[in-house]
Amino acid sequence: MKLYYFSEMPHHEYPDAEGEKYPSLRLGFPNRFFDRAKAAANYQRYLDEYEYADQVGYDGLMINEHHSTPSCVNVGVNMAAALLGRTTKRAKLLILGNILPIEDNPVRMAEQIAMADLISGGRVLSGFVRGVGVEQWWANANPVHNRERFEECHDLILKCWTEPGPFRWEGTHYHFRHVNPWCLPLQQPHPPIWIPGTASPETAVWAGQRGYTYVPFLVPFDIARELFDYYRQGAAEAGREVTPDNLGFLICAVTADTRAKALEAGRHFVWRMGPTLRGPIEWFSPVGMRSRAGKQFALKARPRSLATLSYEELVAERFIIAGTPDEVADGFALVQRELGIGHLLLEAQESRMDHVTTMRSIELMGAKVIPAMARL
Amino acid sequence: MRPHEETISVGGIDVHAWIGGRGDPLLVLHGAGANRGWVRWIQQVAEHFTVWAPTHPGFGRSGDAEWMEGVDDLARFHLWFIEAAGLGRPHLLGHSIGGWAAAEMATMSPGSINRLVLVAATGLKPERGEILDVFYHSDAQLRDMIVHDPKTVPEWDELFGQPPTPAGLEMADRSREMTARLSWKPYMHNPRLAHFLPRVTNPTLIVWGRDDRIVPVECGEQYRRALPGATLRVLERCGHLPPIEHPDAFARLVLDFLQEAA
Repeated sequence: MKLYYFSEMPHHEYPDAEGEKYPSLRLGFPNRFFDRAKAAANYQRYLDEYEYADQVGYDGLMINEHHSTPSCVNVGVNMAAALLGRTTKRAKLLILGNILPIEDNPVRMAEQIAMADLISGGRVLSGFVRGVGVEQWWANANPVHNRERFEECHDLILKCWTEPGPFRWEGTHYHFRHVNPWCLPLQQPHPPIWIPGTASPETAVWAGQRGYTYVPFLVPFDIARELFDYYRQGAAEAGREVTPDNLGFLICAVTADTRAKALEAGRHFVWRMGPTLRGPIEWFSPVGMRSRAGKQFALKARPRSLATLSYEELVAERFIIAGTPDEVADGFALVQRELGIGHLLLEAQESRMDHVTTMRSIELMGAKVIPAMARL
Repeated sequence: MRPHEETISVGGIDVHAWIGGRGDPLLVLHGAGANRGWVRWIQQVAEHFTVWAPTHPGFGRSGDAEWMEGVDDLARFHLWFIEAAGLGRPHLLGHSIGGWAAAEMATMSPGSINRLVLVAATGLKPERGEILDVFYHSDAQLRDMIVHDPKTVPEWDELFGQPPTPAGLEMADRSREMTARLSWKPYMHNPRLAHFLPRVTNPTLIVWGRDDRIVPVECGEQYRRALPGATLRVLERCGHLPPIEHPDAFARLVLDFLQEAA
């Protein structure tokens, strides 16, 4: 099983009491609390940590993108991929992902991903996401078109990568009279495509039909298995075989020299389970963004929202795995047995987890955990 | 006078409509909330006019029109509805997003309608304030902001006091989704509409609530300035729902205005 290192590049650099005065940390929390000097230093720090994760042997480095939120200030996932493409040597660069429905120019997106793939020597894994509702507000993109735009944007990017230009695209949401990108990915026919999921059965089926790698994020095991069943249903429709390489899962994880130290560090993940997800439903799931089937599944997927779980419950249910290297290796092996996955994505730094703790966790993962996982 | 309900097919879409009354036809276009049917002000106006109150496509019990992208599409659709229903040259009254549609219809084909009534209509960008972002707020927040004072609304309990049924919630969801299709961006206005309004010389009554917290009363003033034959009446102690908040006064205003045509 392959392991991936991931940090949301958080900006938890303001007094929590200020954040609590607002309905949500997203969209409405004023950016006068954004600390430019600390952000500048943090970007250097986070990139150093990614580079170290590459050096110790992580199979992949995952990056993501959000907007208008201190939970994630990686605001340009392709920019980050290009940087890491230059400064790292070996690990795959898992972009998870580009937020397709809010993109107005899929041709430029296809070019940017291709450029990152070229710079990195063909190490890009290109994830595509529908995004959370907050991004629809940020981009002022009509949420009722979220799925349609996701699919059309995907189709146009794939066409950019696989069909010779110039060609014309007159779609429903995208219109380009002259498509002929002079920047194509190194990997042929194109970088592998990854799709995350939290609650949409349609997305799982869609990914299965296309043989893309499908990765549920932070859901209970039984829900992940159900989503994988939808994935298999889509794959079967297309006559595709499903192997562990098609399936991944995301959890939060940290290791340290002692169990006590690791459990203390793991508390930083609680921030991303509750405070950063707090906010009106109209902001996180705006009108029309989810199908009725998706809404019903979402209710089932989170019978209790992560925000209502205590740290101990989050650890017990393995949304967070924190312990000595041997303990986290056992935890990861259990996830692998439960879900039959080939890729485990580790959200490995969060909130105010400091640089020393993060680097030690990366080091121990590289020395003791990654080799054990490679044998699974 | 009791109305009846009909389903009228227009362009392949089944349009649910309430129809009743006597006299010349009056087409009533509802706002984003819902087609509230045979409410008190309509009953009074229907004593003198035949009221046609269709439900917009994508709302309530009318069929889907997921291909629509703006209120100008809705306006062209309702001009078609006038022909399909055989209304001749009806008076036209629209509230909120229905008012915007009515204004668009008047600019597209002023000869297709008789007198025009715009009530708390969206469609124009306010010069000073903002149209409230209804998608950004919860139902409970909107409920607090939509009228001046619920206690003074005669039909409040009937229209808003009952807990919603699952079917009602689903219908409300669908209506909100269609509203987003029609009005997401630019939000609740058409930057080109003002350029066409001077074409509309039809006598026009504009009605607004002084305390409208959804669409500021300055939008009423903008419509009055742009429409050559328009009068603006602003109701005191009234929010975004003049027909519901002051049904008797509102019906009187509408009747007086329409009866001038006779």
